[in-house]
Amino acid sequence: MKTGFARVTENTRLYGDTYIMWLDSPELIQGATPGQFLMLRCADLLPGLDGAAELTGASIADDPLLGRAMSYHRIREGENGREFSILYDVVGRGTAWLARRDPGDRVYAWGPLGRGYSLPGQSGQNMLLVGGGIGIAPLLWLADEGVARGKSVVLIDGARDAKGVFPAELVPAEAEVVVTTQDGSVGRQGLVTDVFLDYYGWADQVFACGPNPMFAALSEVLTRHEGSQRARRRKPVQALLESAMGCGTGICYGCAIFDRRGNPRLVCKEGPRFELREIW
Amino acid sequence: MVTMTNPISLEVDLAPGAKRSLILPNPVMVASGTFGYGIEYTKVFDIQRLGGIVTKTTTLAPRRGNPPVRIAETPAGMLNSIGLQNIGITALVRDLAPVYATWKTPVVASIMGFTVGEYAEVASRLEGIEGFAGVELNLSCPNTERGGVEFGQDSEAAAEAVARVSRATTLPIIAKLTPNIADPRIVARAVVEAGADALCVGNTLQAMAMDLERRRPVIGATFAGLSGPALKPVALRQVYVVAGAVDVPVIGCGGIATARDALEFILAGASAVQIGTATFTNPLAPIEAIDGIEAYCREHEICRIGELVGAGRAPADRKPRPETVPLK
Ligand SMILES: Cc1cc2nc3c(=O)[nH]c(=O)nc-3n(C[C@H](O)[C@H](O)[C@H](O)COP(=O)(O)OP(=O)(O)OC[C@H]3O[C@@H](n4cnc5c(N)ncnc54)[C@H](O)[C@@H]3O)c2cc1C
Ligand SMILES: Cc1cc2nc3c(=O)[nH]c(=O)nc-3n(C[C@H](O)[C@H](O)[C@H](O)COP(=O)(O)O)c2cc1C
Ligand code: FES
Repeated sequence: MKTGFARVTENTRLYGDTYIMWLDSPELIQGATPGQFLMLRCADLLPGLDGAAELTGASIADDPLLGRAMSYHRIREGENGREFSILYDVVGRGTAWLARRDPGDRVYAWGPLGRGYSLPGQSGQNMLLVGGGIGIAPLLWLADEGVARGKSVVLIDGARDAKGVFPAELVPAEAEVVVTTQDGSVGRQGLVTDVFLDYYGWADQVFACGPNPMFAALSEVLTRHEGSQRARRRKPVQALLESAMGCGTGICYGCAIFDRRGNPRLVCKEGPRFELREIW
Repeated sequence: MVTMTNPISLEVDLAPGAKRSLILPNPVMVASGTFGYGIEYTKVFDIQRLGGIVTKTTTLAPRRGNPPVRIAETPAGMLNSIGLQNIGITALVRDLAPVYATWKTPVVASIMGFTVGEYAEVASRLEGIEGFAGVELNLSCPNTERGGVEFGQDSEAAAEAVARVSRATTLPIIAKLTPNIADPRIVARAVVEAGADALCVGNTLQAMAMDLERRRPVIGATFAGLSGPALKPVALRQVYVVAGAVDVPVIGCGGIATARDALEFILAGASAVQIGTATFTNPLAPIEAIDGIEAYCREHEICRIGELVGAGRAPADRKPRPETVPLK
């Protein structure tokens, strides 16, 4: 994990209420893998300190106080080396602040954090990616990586309506995209769980990210489908979870969720990637 | 400006009168429950530079803690109700003490019990174990023998817990007070009388938040503790008040995020400070605070940090204080 000020190189609305921000900070991406995340402070630099020679985390206003967790969305080569992006929905104060950033602005962040997806080795050729809503964000980098490694990738993108669908032209051409919308305005009408089983048989591994109700529904579909099959014969389903976070680094114990056995698990450190059926 | 040639001493002795001393290389500690067990940040910064590390509060048996939601953001602050998730004293002594024994920075074990006997029992497990420089009693614990009133709100129970712990261990004892009390001086005096070598002032302020959409409290356990910058002015006053009432070193804690914050507490009478929430929002906060304090001392020609302790108190509130580190 590294801390630092990342420079915004691009920040635009990509579709619906979803924005993409590109940030220039090679150290914040060093060693990162798809599914990992970083924490971003979403408060102004204190007046007078902005532009000062030495900026630190203490140069940021006290409110809003906590960092916001964002998945690495994608990586690219920029003018000054590697850049990364975040794909985000504006849902509150922090994300609204992010949406107002201009190129050249600096954002204090720390990362990479948590355990990302574990990419399949030789044996896993077929990767099924399932994203619900903004849960699509980390799956694009995973799709890029999968395709680069010669895997077959299917990406299920579940959105509320046409406005929430990730632009198909930005998905690697080698990957197949399946869209579902709740209102049926594009793709199949329904939820990701309605098409999930059509691809599950084909898949060697599943990688999911979305809101908790989506994981609960996925788990239910799987339980019905697989019945009492032995746990170790099941296909791995790697789920990327969300939780309210204080630090993102395993020191506050604020992000804990309880697994099926009733044990607390720190989403920021032991996760955010968990085997679906350890939790649901 | 005069360039100072003498090195600045930031050293602090938190237990000048105790059987064993508790000397911090500088006044900046990290607060209990806000730095895990200390091992999490070994790759983030040089933790050996810290004035001291207080562990997550540890109880006799391991605890799973409260169900979600455990934290929430509030104006310039945060709420937490972690529910004392911890690995238990056996694991702390077995797995972590050997690691702490190799560290330069002093590690203080934060402990808690649900009865006075339990405080003593947990403390006794630390006795003779290499790796601990002191013990901090988290007094924000419901006392099951007294109908669940927190130890820190009941001067008799708090004093008894401290007295029992002081018989169970030779380690220097820090009593961590709660701000959720009308007059902190009463408990402060009682625990000093009972054998506390230093006081930490203090813990989080009881608070809550309401979720308008779900129409219920945001925090799973309903109530929570407020920490962060919003707490700072309250904690600062408490430190000022307590430092005027006792003769042992006081550690300031509550909303301290920067060197300037830390210095305010020191001027109010704190010999050292603990940084909590700030490390969540700026992982380098403790290190930056140390550097900033040193820079301030250099700039203002302060040779020993002790010169600043209580230096901001109103003349009527000053009293002759023992030097933080006695001059030879
Ligand atoms: C590991 C991880 C990865 C994430 N990746 C992305 C991503 O790539 N794109 C994206 O748009 N969002 C992502 N989120 C969710 C994102 O962190 C929240 O949407 C964001 O914190 C909301 O902040 P706000 O100030 O706009 O909202 P507010 O509602 O004003 O936030 C108030 C507080 O609640 C917390 N909070 C609110 N919503 C969430 C949530 N859904 N999850 C966790 N904490 C929340 C905030 O962090 C803040 O502390 C991720 C969350 C986690 C835990
Ligand atoms: C998430 C969290 C967990 C905490 N856990 C403990 C704990 O286990 N024991 C304890 O004595 N204090 C605990 N505290 C209180 C802090 O040590 C500190 O006293 C308080 O947060 C005020 O300081 P701050 O504003 O710098 O955070 C916790 C605080 C937070 C925010
Ligand atoms: S967010 Fe602090 S421990 Fe996970």
